[in-house]
Amino acid sequence: MIRRTTLLVLLAVLVAAGLAPAHAAERAPGTARVFAKVQSPGFPAYVHVHTNGRVYAGTYTNPAGDSMRSRVFEYTSGGTLLRSWTVPGQDLTEPRGVQVAASDARGRLVLLEKSRARVLTLDVRTGRFQAQATLPDLPGGGHPIPNYATWGPGGALFVSDYGQAVIWRIPAAGGTPRAWFTSKKLEGVAGFGTTGLVFEPATRSFLVSQQTSGDPLELFRGHLYRLRVRADGAPGALSTVWTAGGALDLPDGFGIARSGNIYLALLGANKLVKLSPTGKVLARWSATGSAVPFDSPSNATFLGTRVLVANQSAILGDASHHAILDVEVGERGAPVVVPRVSVLR
Amino acid sequence: MFSSGLPADALTLGRRGLIAGGAVALGAVATDALEAEVDAATLSGALPRRVDVVVVGAGIAGLVAADRIARRGRSVLVVEARDRVGGRVLNHGLRTGGTIEAGGAFIGPTQNHIKALADELGIGTFKEYVEGNNVYVSSNPLLGRQEFKGTVPPDPTILLDAALALMRLNDMAAEVPVDAPWAHPKAAQWDAITLDAWIRSNTLNSKGVDNLIKSWTQPGFGADPDQLSLLFVLHYIACSGNETHVGTFERNSDTVGGAQESRFVGGSQRVPLALARRLGDRVALSAAVTRIEHVDGRAVVHTTRGRVAARRVVVAAPPKQVLDMALPGMPAGRRTLLSKLQMGRLMKCDAVYETPFWRADGLTGFGLADSGAVRVAFDNGVRNTDHGILLAFVGGSTWRQYGSLSRAERRTAVLQGFARMFGDKALKPIEYTEHDWTHERWTRGGPVAIYPPNVMATYGQHIHRPYGRVHWAGTETSTYWTGYMDGAVRSGKRAAVEVLEKL
Repeated sequence: MIRRTTLLVLLAVLVAAGLAPAHAAERAPGTARVFAKVQSPGFPAYVHVHTNGRVYAGTYTNPAGDSMRSRVFEYTSGGTLLRSWTVPGQDLTEPRGVQVAASDARGRLVLLEKSRARVLTLDVRTGRFQAQATLPDLPGGGHPIPNYATWGPGGALFVSDYGQAVIWRIPAAGGTPRAWFTSKKLEGVAGFGTTGLVFEPATRSFLVSQQTSGDPLELFRGHLYRLRVRADGAPGALSTVWTAGGALDLPDGFGIARSGNIYLALLGANKLVKLSPTGKVLARWSATGSAVPFDSPSNATFLGTRVLVANQSAILGDASHHAILDVEVGERGAPVVVPRVSVLR
Repeated sequence: MFSSGLPADALTLGRRGLIAGGAVALGAVATDALEAEVDAATLSGALPRRVDVVVVGAGIAGLVAADRIARRGRSVLVVEARDRVGGRVLNHGLRTGGTIEAGGAFIGPTQNHIKALADELGIGTFKEYVEGNNVYVSSNPLLGRQEFKGTVPPDPTILLDAALALMRLNDMAAEVPVDAPWAHPKAAQWDAITLDAWIRSNTLNSKGVDNLIKSWTQPGFGADPDQLSLLFVLHYIACSGNETHVGTFERNSDTVGGAQESRFVGGSQRVPLALARRLGDRVALSAAVTRIEHVDGRAVVHTTRGRVAARRVVVAAPPKQVLDMALPGMPAGRRTLLSKLQMGRLMKCDAVYETPFWRADGLTGFGLADSGAVRVAFDNGVRNTDHGILLAFVGGSTWRQYGSLSRAERRTAVLQGFARMFGDKALKPIEYTEHDWTHERWTRGGPVAIYPPNVMATYGQHIHRPYGRVHWAGTETSTYWTGYMDGAVRSGKRAAVEVLEKL
């Protein structure tokens, strides 16, 4: 259990870091612009806003084949490219990619690396990468692909797996990943598996997005689930918050507002959908006003009253669309909690 | 025609008045007067024994880094070898009135960082004169002198060839990561050849295209295509944009919509001068750095005015200049990189006329030529004089041909070059001035450090990688707009981020 005083201090820091520029509110909700184009090798699949006020994004897999090592980019909150790091130790015979999923209590970036299904940390002050864990290959399923991560109960790191129907738990101080929750509902079709994962301290539950479903009655339809956490820290019941209207909406990453509203990227429909806390659709947005259209939008990470959306162009592979888009949503994000004990190794 | 637009009293302010007035228009004030106004900077005397950060170099990059560090409440000292600030940015007060730039001058679209800094400092910009036609002078007697609009001159022997070549260069550049060109899968392949070799392999009239491209490389790099790595050139093109606009050759080379679109009222050196004024006695001039060493968990910076201990050091000096400093512990890769980089060879020559007569003839004052001392010319008019000013960049092989002549011989050659473009009136200026950056001891060339083949792909990764307590700034270490003032600002901001997160 995280102590209340610890939480309050962390929340204050995080709220301060999330203050939006004054000009942000001048745009109407739903309007978008290019925050920054993402350099080669491109295919950005997630955006992380750090407590240091800066923005990080990794490069992900090129479905046509990867020719470069993955890289991590650092931007100012205004979109200026500052630095980049090349990810070491990738298996260059495998599809590769990296997502900057979170930051730990030491300020290090938490990276999810595809080619070896690893969790890494990167200290941007020193440029040092450190391997933290490798997700196991479970029998009978696909292969592990760490997809999204969030700090949860006990300060542990919880990781969704795009290739296997499981949510992993890595202890706050680091260690071996354990399968924390498995369910048939986390099985995707044709490899389109579990995507976004965010822990909501207020409801002591996870929100989990599932890109497709293997259920014959709703084949391909994605879902947003709520997964309660029991008092003993074990997973509770999985309930459906929202079901995709279209078979190929392909819900991906999402962000949660202070109001509880959820901003969910639809990778297949090229939309950003705004949901109420109970799953009612409040709006569906295109990237109105942006010079680059939504092209496989993959997440929605709050920065003030805006969400930053990685435009992966996963299907078309259009390099000119590899960008982070900045969508005004008119409300602030819920504070992201980084428990003090969440330091990994 | 330009007119000053300034109140009369702005032009008659004394030195004290200028400082007291803050960001008033300074167009009529000579550079030496401005330099004198950075009176808070010290020219002699003891340096502080210890600060949080020492910044080496008082060019734009170093001053931006220092300003950012100081604004975060950290103690900082800028040490500068020269007795002035600005580095490769230098104003020049004309005898006949007006201030022009002897160094970096232009600013264009997507150079948002230098623009924002200038706005913050109250320094305005004005557009380059572009009304009318450009001029192209060919040594081919069948073509001779032609007028044109746009980027590529209407030489039928190269027009299509050059347009296609530029399109291909843009396409290749679009793939190059601006922050890590060495990471591109074809980096080694592209780095193994020169721009000249690529042109010879990819154009029909390669000699003609190569000659035309010199009009871009000589002012832009102070070098010819046969001196430049193709990868380096592609990276330079890729950098001619920003995070929301992909870099293109046109944005680099053009006036309208390009890097030569605007200039600063009163001259670009007002930017570093204003920054230095803000930093006050935290800028120490005439303090050349001789050695940076790590001692007892500190960096110790030895200068000709004494030594200073610091927790971090930002070196914002031109790459070749760094080799003159003793830097024990500097990685071998970076030392090799610095030894292989070369500074461009460039001088700027300006002729002043009673009036900008070419404008009356319907000409912009922009000209290209495939031979002679003036390969590229600009209308260099400024807002506080009605005089006309023509500027010639003399770089690369043209510098090698004309840079060693006597000043009088070179003046004649430059004026004849102007006359070929704009008529015989160009032969009779009321003033002529020139500045050769190869003679600048603390820069040794300009406008930028250039990469010959087989350097960037192998050693480029060391360009901004810190070692020990030493970090790097300077326009050559920037991502976008490397080689430009905007790149200098960007690099200073990035270095400040690096240092502040370690203090």
